[in-house]
Amino acid sequence: MKKVIIIPIAIAILTVVAFATVNTYRVPTLDFPFLTGEDRPETVAAVEYVVEGLKCRGTSMGFARMIAQTPGVVGVTTYARTHSAIVEYDPALTDPDVIREAFMAPVERDGQMYQFFRSLSQRELD
Amino acid sequence: MRVLRTVVQLVFLGGVIALMIRGLTGATPNTCETYCPFGGMAAIFPLAKYKMYTCRLTELNVSLMVSLVVLTIATKKSFCSWVCPLGTVLEWLHRAGRKIFGRSFHLPTTADRWLMNLRYVVLAAALGLTWTIWGGDLGFRAYDPFYILFTWGGHGTAAFSVYLAIVLIGAALFVPFFWCRYLCPLGATMDPLSRYGGLRIRRNAGVCTDCGACDEICPHRIPVSQVAEVTARNCTNCLECVVECPEKGALELSCYGK
Repeated sequence: MKKVIIIPIAIAILTVVAFATVNTYRVPTLDFPFLTGEDRPETVAAVEYVVEGLKCRGTSMGFARMIAQTPGVVGVTTYARTHSAIVEYDPALTDPDVIREAFMAPVERDGQMYQFFRSLSQRELD
Repeated sequence: MRVLRTVVQLVFLGGVIALMIRGLTGATPNTCETYCPFGGMAAIFPLAKYKMYTCRLTELNVSLMVSLVVLTIATKKSFCSWVCPLGTVLEWLHRAGRKIFGRSFHLPTTADRWLMNLRYVVLAAALGLTWTIWGGDLGFRAYDPFYILFTWGGHGTAAFSVYLAIVLIGAALFVPFFWCRYLCPLGATMDPLSRYGGLRIRRNAGVCTDCGACDEICPHRIPVSQVAEVTARNCTNCLECVVECPEKGALELSCYGK
């Protein structure tokens, strides 16, 4: 019955392969362009935030709502696995710190103030 | 054999319990659904239509689903009896039930055969409703005993779902693997592949004394003593029949016929 060892070995190898391959492709949880076509500015910069509280499509929608009203924000793409968001913006109108303040702003719910998102890190993309 | 399997089961069960505790204490935003291969199935439609994931699904769910498909092709549904934490809990409940009542209870054969097809109905409903009525949201998870148990009534769980999960899990005390046998949609996904799984139990008719001990112990009611090779879709390679067999060499694992 030496063949029984095949089962745990196969389980171990396939589990490792599954975890090792997740970084080989990246599909967004939410891809939300606020400005498209002629409305989209010619010069667009991008910043990536790692955000506490960004964990699913629902929270991604909430995140998008919080930055949608910020002048100069062009679009947002979120990734639930890495709890990260890439925000495109017009550098002539806004900057990463203003966008960060927008999504970290406390929100009132039933008379109480809540902070749903907190920036853990930010990195400007080329 | 039994020790080896128990060790593997404990690793995965311990992992999911640790994750549950970390989730409940706020140490991680991840839950058991982050690592559930069935999420890979549920992700197919939103991926194909919107090029996006839905709910909490990520690349990890898809990768784990692909790994599960390969594992099933190689070793039948060994995932169920070696990895699945819910399967482990149900197996222990089944053993406890046998000790308490002195026997296992089984539904009549005809009812059992019909009810086994319920898994496909649950699978179709879980995927169909996710893709239509729930608008891509994972509505099924609110009724999924795995999610309810290992998130301790997590997001989206209603009181009704908790009672339902208790009934479905508790039923394993009486009927072995009630949830897995009749309702698990992940098990239904693996069924077509499991039939052709490479690693399967082979009976050596020259050594076998037809004592029927294997038939008696099999939690999935597979008539092991009546076949040359176990190709049944619901065999999980738990190897209980091999452990229980009194004749050395009568039952053994074969790998693609060798």
